[in-house]
Amino acid sequence: MSNDGHQEGGFAVAADRLLVPLSDTVTVRQTVGYAVRSGLERSDELEVHLVVALPHEADLPESRHHTADAEELLSKAANWVREDAGSASVTVETALLGTDEYLFGPRDFADTFGDYAQEHGIDLVVLDPEYQPGATAQMLQSIERELERVGLAYDEAPVERPARHERLVGDGTERFDRLFAMFWISYGFYLVLGDPTYWFDLVTGAAVAGIVSVSLAQITFTFPLDRVQSPIRTVRFAFYVPYLLWEIVKSNLAISLVILRPSMPIEPTMTRVNTRVRSGLPLLALANSITLTPGTLVVRADDQRLLVHTLIPSAREGLFDGDLERAIRFVFYGRESAAIPTPRERGDTEIIGGDDQ
Amino acid sequence: MIESLRFWAIIVLVAFGLFFTFVSAVGVLRLPDVYARAHTASQADTLGAGLALAAVAIALGWQHATVYTVLLLFFVFITNPTAAHAIARSAAESGIDPWTTDDTEEGESK
Repeated sequence: MSNDGHQEGGFAVAADRLLVPLSDTVTVRQTVGYAVRSGLERSDELEVHLVVALPHEADLPESRHHTADAEELLSKAANWVREDAGSASVTVETALLGTDEYLFGPRDFADTFGDYAQEHGIDLVVLDPEYQPGATAQMLQSIERELERVGLAYDEAPVERPARHERLVGDGTERFDRLFAMFWISYGFYLVLGDPTYWFDLVTGAAVAGIVSVSLAQITFTFPLDRVQSPIRTVRFAFYVPYLLWEIVKSNLAISLVILRPSMPIEPTMTRVNTRVRSGLPLLALANSITLTPGTLVVRADDQRLLVHTLIPSAREGLFDGDLERAIRFVFYGRESAAIPTPRERGDTEIIGGDDQ
Repeated sequence: MIESLRFWAIIVLVAFGLFFTFVSAVGVLRLPDVYARAHTASQADTLGAGLALAAVAIALGWQHATVYTVLLLFFVFITNPTAAHAIARSAAESGIDPWTTDDTEEGESK
């Protein structure tokens, strides 16, 4: 299906103006390299247009850091092009697209690229197989179809790493790991509720766990499991729980004293803390722990930037000291990674006035 | 000896559980705005419910129902902060400004 696009533009027409949509993937470097190499094979003069399409409006406060990231990516990619071009004459153009509108789905992206291509006389789009604009799900199949609809010729960069849609369908061991973990988790839970010494529960439990693992394993673990690291993390987490309980009791007492005192010396503030944990499970664990500790309440989690409402100064100081963050880093990344500067020392803290932003 | 130790452990746990639940109720009444109330409504409460459930587990002794109590404890600890976060987030999204100490003068009437 995608071969039509290849033949139409990729090899029949000499491409001297390339459009390369970028996003932050592992293969973006190779894609840029391929675009320059293949372009120079076809003609001596090359004009590479590097674009990042933003799925949000650029001026909204919460997408400002996306915009900053996009600009950084553009300038990096421009350097890569110059690096790969060597002495050949290559012109680099960079642009942010979709800054004044919401792009929603592959159709909008393809339309945006189509408009840009028309404006600048683009001959060929070089697609990163992992291209994933914004935070939406993997969409390569349909963006190819949409590009064809707009009448843009495209070429998919042959990159080393397999594209994600192939990985999803099933790398054998990864798939097995997920099934295995999911099976034992659900079997264990079933037996905790039932009676592990009764044969009927053992048999029905195995059947139920089998059904659950086959149907839900892909949904439960959205990340690849690690055979060594995942069990170690579970053990570390067991160490973390008593520590968290102790923190909860401690700050509960502090809060209780404040609330019961007739003068009620509270000092509510909105703060922002940039954390150093990965999105997903670590961030969830951290945000939940912060909220669980009285006196601090996570209002918004915008990737690594947490908006935290704090009730009393001592809770705020505790948050800025980052004890919980270090503990979470210990759970997920091990002892060495736990020893990082506190958020206060990193300058990752900010007290926001009454305002949300 | 063991029996009386267990008895007093239950009494102490229930007492502290009641205390923290009481504090949580007082907090909801006294604190100025939705964010501050979400703090106590769900968090002081978590410890209150946690201690009460721990007391129940000890009172039940070593039997199968105790496992359910511990599981319940576990789920309370996961769901309570999530609920607090949901409340605070929806408050922030409806544009409610957090109360600050500067508001004391005009904020008294609320």
